[in-house]
Amino acid sequence: MPISVAPRSVRRVWLLTLAGTVVWLAAIVLAPWLAARGASGPARLLYAVFAPVCHQVADRCFVLDGHPLAVCGRCLGIYAGFAAGLVLYPFLRGFSRVALPPARLFVALTLPMALDGAAGILGLWRSPIGLRFATGFAWGTILPFYFVAGVADFFRTRRERAAARALERPGSNKVE
Amino acid sequence: MDQQKPAYLRPALIAGAVAGLLSGLPFIGIGNCICCLWIVGGAAMAAKLLAAATPGVLRAGDGAIVGALTGIVAAVVDTVVKIPLQSYNMELGRRILDRVSDFGTEMPAGLDEILNGSGMLSPGWMILGLFVSAAVYAVVGMLGGIIGVSLFGKKALPAAPPPPSPATPPPASPGPPDAA
Repeated sequence: MPISVAPRSVRRVWLLTLAGTVVWLAAIVLAPWLAARGASGPARLLYAVFAPVCHQVADRCFVLDGHPLAVCGRCLGIYAGFAAGLVLYPFLRGFSRVALPPARLFVALTLPMALDGAAGILGLWRSPIGLRFATGFAWGTILPFYFVAGVADFFRTRRERAAARALERPGSNKVE
Repeated sequence: MDQQKPAYLRPALIAGAVAGLLSGLPFIGIGNCICCLWIVGGAAMAAKLLAAATPGVLRAGDGAIVGALTGIVAAVVDTVVKIPLQSYNMELGRRILDRVSDFGTEMPAGLDEILNGSGMLSPGWMILGLFVSAAVYAVVGMLGGIIGVSLFGKKALPAAPPPPSPATPPPASPGPPDAA
């Protein structure tokens, strides 16, 4: 069910998420760029930051200046899809309400990546990096519609609960 | 509107412990390389547990909170589980590296160095790794918690039927049931 929120609050969450996504994507590209220029220490640090979330196997990564990007093709697809979804967010959802996408859409966009990944793990199919990127991209596009809505709703919930607590306080007739 | 704060901690601790354990175990931990499977799944599970324990409709913000907490708990458990398994993991990694390099596959930069014990596994790096993991897992967990609320959190409020009154005749045609 859509919930009305202050557009300024959603816009702020959207802008912060956009900034964070740009930094995250830049760091992915920066790691090989630094490695290619001999800055192996900072490059290793950046590769290490992404290690908990990606296997980083080089032949499954896109290459820049002879060095693999900090994440694999599928992960890059997810983050690029996330960025694309964020850009589309104001046009498709707007800032005046928050609503989560329907579960059916989530399943439809998850299925190609899940099938491709499962087939790869079971050894039934070895997909090319382009397909990995594409299935990741499709999944990534829906994620900001959860993230922005959820985080904006989190701040709204916090404000409402603080206001309710202030009202419940004995002798208090002022709501911040 | 329900201003009652749901009990986030218990579902986050349970789901975070499971997700962290799965992330820290050899072989099974590789699941996190598939879009942070254990963290997203753990946070969604936390949202499901929260939905089961909360008498009311959960909001996306509730999913964000329980998901972020789950991610932080998972990062701590993951790090703790990895400490005793460190030497085993490095030996296992070295064997996998040997096997994979037989097929001519290039491995991540600096992995050789790490597996030979001269890499980033000192206590300082582990603490830094814990902070990085906690931050990354909290954001990923937040996402998983919100997805979990959208998948499992919708609960129809039990509509209390009006008390039967002999003076009031029953309505001619009942309206559609309220699913929200």
